[in-house]
Amino acid sequence: MEQTNLYPTEKLKCWNKAKDIRMKFYQDYAEAHDKGGLRWAGGAWTFDAIPAGLGEDVYPITSEPYSATIAFDKELSLECMEATEVKGYPRDLCSYMRNYWGSIITDKFAFGYKDGEFVPRFQGAKPIGFPKPDFIWQDHICCSHAKWYQVVSDLEGGIPMYTVDNAVGPSNELTESKIKYVVEQLKDGIKFLEKTTGRDYDDELMFKAIRNHFVSTSKWAEICELNKAIPAPLDEKSIYSLYVLGTLQKSGKQVADFYEKDLLPEVKDRVKRGIAAVPNERVRVMSDTQPPWSFLSIFRYLEKFGCVSIGSLYTFGLIGQWEVKKDGTWGAKTIPDVEFSSRDQALYEYVKYELHKPEWQHFYSCHLKSDMMIRIAKEWKLNGVMLHYNRGCEGLTVGIAENRLALLEAGFPVMAFEGNNADEREFDEARTKAKINAFMETLGVK
Amino acid sequence: MITMGIDLGAKNIKVVILKDNKIIGKSIVLAGFEVEKSAQQAVDKALKEAGITKDKIEKTVSTGAGDKLAPFYDETKSIVGCDSLGAVFLHPATRSVIDVGAEEGRGMRCDETGKIIDFEVNEKCAAGAGAFTEAMSRALEVKIEEIGPLSLKATEDIPMNAQCTVFAESEVVTMVHNKVSKANMAKAVHDAMASRITSMVRKIGFDKDVVLVGGVANNVGFVYSLNKDLELEVVVPKDPEFVGALGAALAAAGWKGGK
Amino acid sequence: MIEQFKQIEKNRHDYAKDWKKKNDGKVMGYFCTYVPEEILYAAGVLPVRILGSHEPQDVTEPHIFGMFCPFCRDCLAQGLKNRYKYLDGLMIAQSCLHIRQSYTSWIKHRPVDFNKFLCMPHKVQSPHAYEFLTKEYKVFKKELEKWTGKKITDKDLEKAIGIYNENRRLMRKLYDLRKRDKPPLTGEQVMEVVMAMQMSDKAEHNKMLKDLLKKLDDYTPNRETGSRLMILGSEDDDTVFMNMVENCGATFVIDDHCTGSRYFWNEVENGKDPLSSIAARYVNRIPCPSKDWEERKRIPHILKLCKDWKVDGVIIMQQKFCDPHELDFVAIKKSLEDAGIPTLFLEFDVTVPIGQFKIRVEAFLEMIGEEDLF
Repeated sequence: MEQTNLYPTEKLKCWNKAKDIRMKFYQDYAEAHDKGGLRWAGGAWTFDAIPAGLGEDVYPITSEPYSATIAFDKELSLECMEATEVKGYPRDLCSYMRNYWGSIITDKFAFGYKDGEFVPRFQGAKPIGFPKPDFIWQDHICCSHAKWYQVVSDLEGGIPMYTVDNAVGPSNELTESKIKYVVEQLKDGIKFLEKTTGRDYDDELMFKAIRNHFVSTSKWAEICELNKAIPAPLDEKSIYSLYVLGTLQKSGKQVADFYEKDLLPEVKDRVKRGIAAVPNERVRVMSDTQPPWSFLSIFRYLEKFGCVSIGSLYTFGLIGQWEVKKDGTWGAKTIPDVEFSSRDQALYEYVKYELHKPEWQHFYSCHLKSDMMIRIAKEWKLNGVMLHYNRGCEGLTVGIAENRLALLEAGFPVMAFEGNNADEREFDEARTKAKINAFMETLGVK
Repeated sequence: MITMGIDLGAKNIKVVILKDNKIIGKSIVLAGFEVEKSAQQAVDKALKEAGITKDKIEKTVSTGAGDKLAPFYDETKSIVGCDSLGAVFLHPATRSVIDVGAEEGRGMRCDETGKIIDFEVNEKCAAGAGAFTEAMSRALEVKIEEIGPLSLKATEDIPMNAQCTVFAESEVVTMVHNKVSKANMAKAVHDAMASRITSMVRKIGFDKDVVLVGGVANNVGFVYSLNKDLELEVVVPKDPEFVGALGAALAAAGWKGGK
Repeated sequence: MIEQFKQIEKNRHDYAKDWKKKNDGKVMGYFCTYVPEEILYAAGVLPVRILGSHEPQDVTEPHIFGMFCPFCRDCLAQGLKNRYKYLDGLMIAQSCLHIRQSYTSWIKHRPVDFNKFLCMPHKVQSPHAYEFLTKEYKVFKKELEKWTGKKITDKDLEKAIGIYNENRRLMRKLYDLRKRDKPPLTGEQVMEVVMAMQMSDKAEHNKMLKDLLKKLDDYTPNRETGSRLMILGSEDDDTVFMNMVENCGATFVIDDHCTGSRYFWNEVENGKDPLSSIAARYVNRIPCPSKDWEERKRIPHILKLCKDWKVDGVIIMQQKFCDPHELDFVAIKKSLEDAGIPTLFLEFDVTVPIGQFKIRVEAFLEMIGEEDLF
């Protein structure tokens, strides 16, 4: 395996700040009640700007990244999943859910305190009990989402819950009626929040949160765009640690500021100076669906071949918002130039913007996803694609076989490997590495 | 030039020694629990048959699931790469290779030089490997070499669930209770396996000529079922279980097809 | 008794082709019971539900990842194997993720003249679902009119609603007969009737049902009822399994699954106008597990069915890999057990290991049979 470095490389300067933001997010959630604040639980695809209108001391926990955090902690993850299985839930259910439920059943939060510092359990903290949310604010698009929290509520003896149905069809068929359906649900949701918390809703806080959301999602896309450069300034393994902030709290000021003022300028600078994420970059690929969280080492393994994964539709489009630019290429979605004048109008702008999310399109047709993936493969100048046939998430794996066929038809070599994003028992590291070896041979790198 | 190819498969270790593109020695040894020991045995056997000593070997390539456990090697190469190279060497018109080993079924498409264009491996949810026929032979109480010829005597097609090996095994129990003839059961087993393999191969598509390698290629019953599913006749080279090791030895010699 | 229905079910393709010839009309294949058949019928189109053939196959692997349910792969296989070549259109209403793949792969590799993904809302418990769905129907209606070249009037819709409602009413009458101590039909036979319903012209099915109901009026079958069972789950049309169980000393007297009662249970009620009435029916009907949230509405319905049909035990059939059902059955099982109704859980594939299942069913029946003694 060739190891000669072709490009200079540097660690990201804002790396530690990202880690701090993430830790603070979980700490705020855990300690919310200590300061008289509220805490809520919901998915990464909720319209999270809405609960922000309840006050400046309202802290979320986001189910999917939290579950990925558990998955990363192999010991805790196994304990959680086994506890869930004992309760009768089958193993082929979404593995994020099973980790999350297990955390509640075993009453072990993935974080705790070590010498007074709030750190993850696997760094030696004694885990605290799972902090019960005051309410559930959830979205629904894949079959499991709403039902995930039905079970959570069952397990916790009942928690007030409100779920918003986002599944109104692809963005290229968006109508006023579809936007209205979601907006009306959000309006009902605000009434639910007021009733449940006894607080008065503050539209101004919501407006600020929506604006943060626009910034987070647009700037994140801008950052991903920069990976079109050769050499790529970021590799996908690092990208996971950066995009996670958007999954945690798109509508949070700390996330919007970090993307806009810290990460974006730094990545722009890296491109200017030709700094590479993988110094021996020889071959570029992309992946798809969540990675097997407890085996991110396979991305480091790729680097041995001089192979960099520049991202995926998953990392680009799960939180990022995109649009086709005048020159026909994909770029960050323009932040709407609007003033928020009323609750109804702000909700309308929010929903209209968010329904364009790339990672929602394949729910209606896998062919829409194929088109986007082929576009990324072309514009990010890729040599091949690695598809994670992810048994742990049906929502993102739906249609993946057709995506593979479409990519092959478009002339891109594809390697498919089976695994599970959050159930490490279903990932065969040795076999996958053997497959990668063979795939690299076909791409012409040893 | 004298080269050696070692294929450390899940069940068997195969060694091929080539001299100027002719096989001068080969061996096959059960891997067992002490793989390194068995591998050394296999190498020694092959060297003995070739009538040479180890120092005469100029280059060795190892392949297979246990490639790094070979007693010595200069390089490793993927098993699919070796299979294709070996198949094209034996049969220049090869454009697709199917390898059914003890634990894994693989499909490959290659060009005339033996280079891989695309490949696929049977993963979870598959009854597409040799271990399945072994289990079935035990269930039917016939010797593994007999199950193939027995299935050719079948009088009826009985569908078996081809998705899950465990489900399939329990379907055999049902057939035994329904007094289905052994020949018909044997055919059902081969049909189920062939269906799994065909399912996998369809993912990458196949071009003629299709060559079948690996130990299971010796099973005439399986070949019959596979030909029916693919609607063509697969080519089965002599000593199909050695094609991987042959390919490794060819890779060591720098051989490429198409000349 | 039910030979005619069985004929249709076993020869579903011939039926559709004959219908096409006789009526010079279009046939629309569909997945999922949330498709508003009334609108299709009003347009003069015959809706036929796509179901699998319970045969192992090797053609869907390149198109659908093996971890998705066997049913959706079986359905796609029918299309890929060209058994549905006569279809003029193909449609699906948004419900679960797995079956969507059958639709999207089919329209790419076996294109049809007309295809539609109808955005059926998931939050049927939201008051805003009606308006949204009604608007979607309006759009759909226009698309159908363009395709058939005929306008769909309110009268056409009312007529279709009338025929469909009658069909549902007759089926409910048939199901009511199964409340008897000696149900006149076995679960297997009823399954044939319901499956035929999903593949035939409802007007014709109505005639057949009326005849059947007359015959069953004072008919007592020459078989022991045995234990009274309910079958419940996601999708199930495995007549071989039903037959096996009912030969072990039991009768399926009621069901709650996707190819069973959930298909026809609720009628369209009189509303503002035909389209919004149809929308209301689909929003309010007994939900598919994928739409049963935030409140679990299936559970009280299932408990009432058990009470009204005097059920001794429930077989929960889990279509392998079906997430929505897997998310429900733990709660369902618990409520059944709390109500003193024993359950047996079985996992289904395209073909089932009848031998192994028989052992479990026999043990289950012995167990619930014993309880009767006390």
